[in-house]
Amino acid sequence: MTVSEHLGAVVKAYPQARVVAFADLSSRMVLASQANQAVTQENLDALCEQARTSFDDPLFALSVEAFGEPHAAMVLALDGVQVFLRSESEPADALLCICDHSIDLAGFVARIRQTLEKISAGT
Amino acid sequence: MNRGTLPILARLEALKTPARVAPDGARVLAESGHPNPLAALLRAVNETMLARSLTFESSSGTSLTLDVAGRRVLRLTGVSGVAGGEACMAAAALEDEHKDELIKLLQAVAAPRNELRVMSGPIGRDSDGLSVGLPIALLADLCLVELNEGGEVEPEPVPPTVEEPQIDTEEEDFLPALALRMGPALAAWLIQGGSADGRTGGPEEMVSHLQGFLDDEVEGVTRQLDMVSMVPAGPVCIVLGATLVDGHSILCARADGGILLGVIEGDATRTLLKAWNAVRG
Repeated sequence: MTVSEHLGAVVKAYPQARVVAFADLSSRMVLASQANQAVTQENLDALCEQARTSFDDPLFALSVEAFGEPHAAMVLALDGVQVFLRSESEPADALLCICDHSIDLAGFVARIRQTLEKISAGT
Repeated sequence: MNRGTLPILARLEALKTPARVAPDGARVLAESGHPNPLAALLRAVNETMLARSLTFESSSGTSLTLDVAGRRVLRLTGVSGVAGGEACMAAAALEDEHKDELIKLLQAVAAPRNELRVMSGPIGRDSDGLSVGLPIALLADLCLVELNEGGEVEPEPVPPTVEEPQIDTEEEDFLPALALRMGPALAAWLIQGGSADGRTGGPEEMVSHLQGFLDDEVEGVTRQLDMVSMVPAGPVCIVLGATLVDGHSILCARADGGILLGVIEGDATRTLLKAWNAVRG
């Protein structure tokens, strides 16, 4: 499967996922995305920047001190939920998602973790 | 199945469960491996219709004694090994303003990985006026505990009466409401700034560590929250974890001029979004 096909399968399985994007956090680039709504490149760039900020100090340092390096983050706001996962094998690889509040978050996180590791492994 | 029968079936199921009695006569509510000792405690109160004094003891050494009747906690008559609880102890009858403090005490005594026991005795004071006290349904709702064990279907709502006030969390500020809705999954937390400044929950040493971090890094945390927030004035929350589904995660939320910093234990995906959705209305 291609990266886009992997992302498309997630969006199809979870209609509450408005946007699912694969990014290289080190170069701040969204490499592929699938969405249930119209998104611009500016939207994707902003999402990538939010993911980088989430995995930044000072909260990143607190997490490392408390329980080790975080590979997952969520941002909850009134307009939705963002979920960011970093690959454990390739830490620059990340999935960036914008979801509705009604999403089954437990199932969704498990699904995108599996998807991210498949993409990072090139399978 | 008639949804109204669910509490009855749950009670019958509970009666079928063999109870273990400790050598001192106490009944073991939750073994040390019980997934949710707080739920076991609240259910024990919920099943106590006649006025009784219930003493809950944890193998950690903490204990508290409650006068209960008619699915209400009337008053707190004793507490040991847990800091706080002064306002509850001083109250002749528990009222809405005492619920946060009481929940902290209940969470401390019903701590995970410890055996929880209960002893029942005659009530200490006159039990007239059963309309006072805190409804156990309110406490269970705030702690995200389903009182009807094993029930997937909510019982039919009961029309409100003077004696059964509606659960109203809207008067609660956003951040403390979020913390309380998280229940025991939020293992330690504190709020800095805003109208709930200084409120805390969980073991003192963990809270102290979080406090020290926030004292040093409040500007950086504020900047980080500003940068992830698409709606500058609205509530926002960041959670960071190794996986979010197990282990521990760091929670940092901002609303109404205050910052909530806490540690989530276990699956943050199940507890946090449910609490967030409940509080955001």
